[in-house]
Amino acid sequence: MDSNKKYWKGLEELQQTPAFIESNKGEFAEPIPVEDVLNEAGLSTRTPRRDFLKALGFGLGAVTLAACNRTPVHKAVPYVIKPEEVTPGIPNYYASSFNGQSVLVRTREGRPISLAANPNSIGLNQGTDATTAAVVLDLYDMSKLQNPQLDGQDVDWSTLDKTVIDALNKAAGTGKQIAIVSNTVNSPSSLAAIAAFKTKYPTATHIQVDAVSYSGILEANRASFGKAVIPSYHLANANVVVSVAADFLGSWLAGEEHTQDYIQNRDYKSLKNGKMSRHIQFESGLSMTGSNADVRIAIKPSEEGAVLISLYNAITGQSLAGGVANKKAQTAIVLAAKELTNNRGNAVVVAGANDVNIQLLANAINSALGAYGAIIDLDNYSKQYEGSDAAFQQFLSAATAGQVGAALFLNSNPVYDYFKAEDVSNALAKIDFTLSFADRADETASILKAVAPTSSFLESWGDASAKEGYYTIVQPTINPVFNTRQAEQSLLVWAGDNTNIYDFVRKIWEENILAGTGKSWNDVLQTGFIYKGSSVGSSYTANVDVNAIANAIGATSKAIVGDFELKLYESTVLRDGRYANNAFLQELPDPVSKVTWDNYAALNPRDAENLGLGEHGKVSVEANGYTVELPVVLQPGQAQGTVSIAVGYGRTKVGKAGNNVGQNAFPFARLVNGTVQFEAKATVTKASGTYELAQTQTHHTIEGRNIIRETTFAKYLKDPNSESGRFADSHKTYDLWNKFESPGHKWVMAIDLNACTGCGSCIVACSVENNVPVVGRDEVRRRREMHWLRIDRYYTLEQEDGTKLTEEKEIAKATDYDYENVTVVHQPMLCQHCDHAPCETVCPVLATVHSSEGLNHMAYNRCFGTRYCANNCPYKVRRFNWFNYWNDARFDNYLNNEFTQLVLNPDVTARSRGVMEKCSMCIQRIQGGKLQAKMENRKLKDGDVKMACQEACSANAIIFGDVNDPESEVSKALRNERVYYVLEEINVQPNIGYMTKVRNTFEA
Amino acid sequence: MSSHNESILREPLITGKDITYAKVTDDILLPVENKPNKAWWIGFIIAALGAMLWVVSVGYTFWTGIGAWGLNKTVGWAWDITDFVWWVGIGHAGTLISAVLLLFRQNWRNSINRSAEAMTIFAVICAATYVVAHMGRPWLAYWIFPLPNQFGSLWVNFNSPLVWDAFAISTYFTVSLVFWYCGLLPDIATVRDRATGLKRKIYKVLSFGWNGSVKTWQRFEIVSLILAGISTPLVLSVHTIVSMDFATSVIPGWHTTIFPPYFVAGAIFSGFAMVQTLLLILRKVMNFENYITMFHIESMNKIIMVTGSIVGIAYLTELFIAWYSGSEYEMYAFANRIAGPYAWAYWAMMTCNVISPQLFWFKKIRTSIPISWVLSIVVNIGMWFERFVIIVTSLHRDYLPSSWAMFYPTWVDVGIFIGSIGLFFTLFLLFLRFLPSIAIAEVKLLLKSASLQQKTKLAQEGAFPDEQVKYFENSLEKYDSVSEEDIKALDVRK
Repeated sequence: MDSNKKYWKGLEELQQTPAFIESNKGEFAEPIPVEDVLNEAGLSTRTPRRDFLKALGFGLGAVTLAACNRTPVHKAVPYVIKPEEVTPGIPNYYASSFNGQSVLVRTREGRPISLAANPNSIGLNQGTDATTAAVVLDLYDMSKLQNPQLDGQDVDWSTLDKTVIDALNKAAGTGKQIAIVSNTVNSPSSLAAIAAFKTKYPTATHIQVDAVSYSGILEANRASFGKAVIPSYHLANANVVVSVAADFLGSWLAGEEHTQDYIQNRDYKSLKNGKMSRHIQFESGLSMTGSNADVRIAIKPSEEGAVLISLYNAITGQSLAGGVANKKAQTAIVLAAKELTNNRGNAVVVAGANDVNIQLLANAINSALGAYGAIIDLDNYSKQYEGSDAAFQQFLSAATAGQVGAALFLNSNPVYDYFKAEDVSNALAKIDFTLSFADRADETASILKAVAPTSSFLESWGDASAKEGYYTIVQPTINPVFNTRQAEQSLLVWAGDNTNIYDFVRKIWEENILAGTGKSWNDVLQTGFIYKGSSVGSSYTANVDVNAIANAIGATSKAIVGDFELKLYESTVLRDGRYANNAFLQELPDPVSKVTWDNYAALNPRDAENLGLGEHGKVSVEANGYTVELPVVLQPGQAQGTVSIAVGYGRTKVGKAGNNVGQNAFPFARLVNGTVQFEAKATVTKASGTYELAQTQTHHTIEGRNIIRETTFAKYLKDPNSESGRFADSHKTYDLWNKFESPGHKWVMAIDLNACTGCGSCIVACSVENNVPVVGRDEVRRRREMHWLRIDRYYTLEQEDGTKLTEEKEIAKATDYDYENVTVVHQPMLCQHCDHAPCETVCPVLATVHSSEGLNHMAYNRCFGTRYCANNCPYKVRRFNWFNYWNDARFDNYLNNEFTQLVLNPDVTARSRGVMEKCSMCIQRIQGGKLQAKMENRKLKDGDVKMACQEACSANAIIFGDVNDPESEVSKALRNERVYYVLEEINVQPNIGYMTKVRNTFEA
Repeated sequence: MSSHNESILREPLITGKDITYAKVTDDILLPVENKPNKAWWIGFIIAALGAMLWVVSVGYTFWTGIGAWGLNKTVGWAWDITDFVWWVGIGHAGTLISAVLLLFRQNWRNSINRSAEAMTIFAVICAATYVVAHMGRPWLAYWIFPLPNQFGSLWVNFNSPLVWDAFAISTYFTVSLVFWYCGLLPDIATVRDRATGLKRKIYKVLSFGWNGSVKTWQRFEIVSLILAGISTPLVLSVHTIVSMDFATSVIPGWHTTIFPPYFVAGAIFSGFAMVQTLLLILRKVMNFENYITMFHIESMNKIIMVTGSIVGIAYLTELFIAWYSGSEYEMYAFANRIAGPYAWAYWAMMTCNVISPQLFWFKKIRTSIPISWVLSIVVNIGMWFERFVIIVTSLHRDYLPSSWAMFYPTWVDVGIFIGSIGLFFTLFLLFLRFLPSIAIAEVKLLLKSASLQQKTKLAQEGAFPDEQVKYFENSLEKYDSVSEEDIKALDVRK
């Protein structure tokens, strides 16, 4: 059929009226005044209402579309040629070492972001100290020098080399001494480089001096055993440890290694076997070690020697003159001596003083106790502190006499840390050419002729030998960021040896260290260390003239007796001040006083009262002709009549973060019998004005609450449940809420209060892992520190009659109390990932929710910051970003530049202002572990995933894992009788179990 | 209502001679139809400066972050939520007066409901600013509402009292605003009818075409009644829900079942006190003594006394329950309020809220204008401290002593608070200038039944027994707006 049908739209079309034909010509039925609008008269044309609406609609649409502009995207430039070993998003680990500890450096896309202990190493293979955890930030420190300098001007390396070589030749030509002044160098390759330098310049000498010196031990051991070494202490073999003023878990020698050993006799596994060591501490200030002691006796610095004399008398039955007169100490010594002699061969006495005589007496006691061998190891001795105070003295006098032609300072800053800085400056002025290898223009470097900035250990090849027979490799994980050159390379260049440092280190290893071990260079790069020492030390006997020593001790002690006795100490946080520009460390609270960003004068509260001082008071401390004004900390446990001040503060040329933090206490030290000693007679007077210290904890007692549960070892042996007061066992609980099911994993933690020493390296490790911002002193004062993990420290004051005071009110009433007897407990506190989390119900926008793996998640993007969750958290572990801490000019001591921001862990978001944050149980690590297992087509194993805090804990106090796996370590730990949950009575069902603190006290 | 003669035993609600409908209109519209006087300007400039301070403080907070305030890791709310609850509480009187008293046929409300409602609205606005300002990321404040969104199936948390709060406050604000505005319609029409030019045009739009027909009036009455019915539960719900912000938590001192009634009583208490503060000045400055009489003042003082006593009992009950609970945290929280570092705030609260309203048992004090005014301010100071005590002293020392901390306000905290008072008064003074501050139409309803003039007339006609007239005379003695002559006039027929 033909399709010639015609459709018409209207009669006009059918009839083809002229009007229709006319109107059908245009595209639109009605004329549109486009032309009119577009011509010059456009603005005056009358716009029909419809056109107006169309234009409005179009305009609105167009503007809307234009406004739909996306947020500017900062593109990450991908690799043009991807390095084979780098996969974006996957970290690479390199074996290296820091301060002699074998570590693994984690790098992401070529930048190091964190350090952890090498778990396969011998010795300290779990946990790091706070410095090690924090040191990665120093790599990205903007305060460092970016070029070599001559007379304070940037120069290039060839100019510097030429100047240096000329100066060295001149010095060598005139026969003057060339001194390399360093702290302890135990690196074989560094020593070889120095040796090469010495070969070229025969007048060169190498002087080692440590800011905090252990010369006393070296000299004592030289006298006792003919071996000027610092022994290794194997505290795992000690059932009784008596420490006289040695902070051996903290800053004394190898604190972390001691902790790892010491805890083996005190943690839940040891207790399970019915074994716990006893630790008795005699000291003036309350140190971290003292806070962990079972029995602690406050003594004055002048009594340290006397305590050892009494102890010696009690152990050997001799009667040396000059025993201690302090009644409390006498009682304790009798008991301690009994313990020590009962455990002969398994008991040790350590002394902290840098005094040859005191150390000799300690040697005599240890010899009598048979501690040499199993506990004190003189064969596999420590090489961490070989500095000699006497050698530095000689250098100073030689320099002052004009006999030194050139001096090179390597890791040495005597203008800051030598007790007579003026002597150093005067001596330096007499030296023709001076140079420092410091990475920044520090107090010494800035007054020297030249600075040859050395690279960070993360940018260098090298090695270390912290112990005899133990060698660790240092390998670079990034190219030098600034125009720096590692000191060893510089020394080689100046010695005329153009060997590349890599070849140099490798040659030394292959020729000297690896020879005979059957291992190759590549093996070492993978494993990170070589151990060639023996497994046990051999027995030694000290030959000491105790009578002469007792007399000498009496004389030196008398010299420091006064109204106040000053004790300088190295804080576990900032140590000798070398890392003072590390904001993570500055913000890490002192384990005992919880003070950040300052040092202070610690006084017994009674003494403070007598001086008319309250909180925020200031004192003026005068000793050895040096006076300083410091804020006061009313420190329970501080011996009356003593004042303790930490060294390592008061740097003036270290960088933005560390400059002028606290006061320098090094000038208080004195030279006695050839060693630098940290005790002095002092005058303490009240100073005018007030100063508020930035403390992270300001209330110090548990107010009788059962958040801390503790028992004694004797009670524990009778009943392992003792005092753990397990709520769930005795009460039926009723739930308002549905039970959260965790069908797959359920991540939980167990924290052993007996293992935690309170050192705080977990806090730093957590901050580094999770990009937790540093907020600075003012913000800490406002109680706004951001730490996801904190360590709560509570004091219990014990009265003469044995009653224990845990409430502030009672303490205020006990006016006759001397504040010396104090017991301390450290409790790590972090998000408890409650199953019935109070924070989750109150968040209006579901920014914090529960996961099917038992975790309490925090969705930063969803949070708009009502802070209700933080208010409703019974543990107060949630942290709010009050400001844009990582990008606000007022917090310019830390991350405020693109370069330092490279330290951020790319797996964790940097939180913006106005957002709540808290412990995520290192969710990125859990996810990473699960992905790894999935790729390897296997189930996730216990131990695959480790929390950052757990990794940093050398005491193994934090155990993390899947409680749904009954065989996991954490499940086993949580089945322990000592486990309790903090605030379990409010039925928030926390997922972190704590184990009751056990004290091995003397039983009456 | 106006068709019958009211007993002479009831005190008059309108005083003054020669009060006619026209005079009522003239009197009330005086500030609206004339240039403002000096007093208004002085008040307005001070208030506007306060509002500027608010803008500066809030602006600074938005620019730098909540860190500008004195809050910390332990005390996450302090002045912000204290001020919020304080303003919401003040906002309670308006609805109570307009709705509940309407339903209970308390005619005396007619003179004060307009400004009380206006106060409510401005107080709720002030409160709402804190809801937004206290957020860490205020630009996302709309997330509090369950809006459809592109974040996937992301919804609000209906378990959270903050969500309930957002609903409660927004509902309350909306209903109060509608109620207030509906009540304003006949009066705006009055202004319109008397105005000329642009002003007339504006009021014409605002009057929604009110024509004064019987049907309009009938609808007006019905709408008022319906809105009163809707608002009445809101009087209870808003502060109940605000109290749940605290009561549903686990914090000792917050986790308390007594909070809903206690908060509602406190809110009415503070609301009436604020109405008192404002009206005592208003009636003097605007010459409204004949409309807001001593009867009103005394009635409000009685309500303040009753609610103050309820609040006092609630405080004591809390203490008893804290002890009776045997919970050490609860006991400590209350011991800490009484004797802790913020004890001064607790005792300020106790003095202002419990002791001071008890003075109103004395008629002399109840009917003294200066003392009433001072006490009304004292009450609001006390109520501010009540919220501060609840929020800050509970938070600053809760479960773990390691986290105990003190809260110290910064200049921004203080600035926002003082600024919000400035904002409130700015709005209120503008209201006085542009809208009738007494409900003209509703007052006129009372003229034929409850005015002194009418009662005098009836008394002169001998409509009441002598002893009743005597009683009435005596009751008038306290009135500052009634002269000796007025009282004598009652006895003219003798």
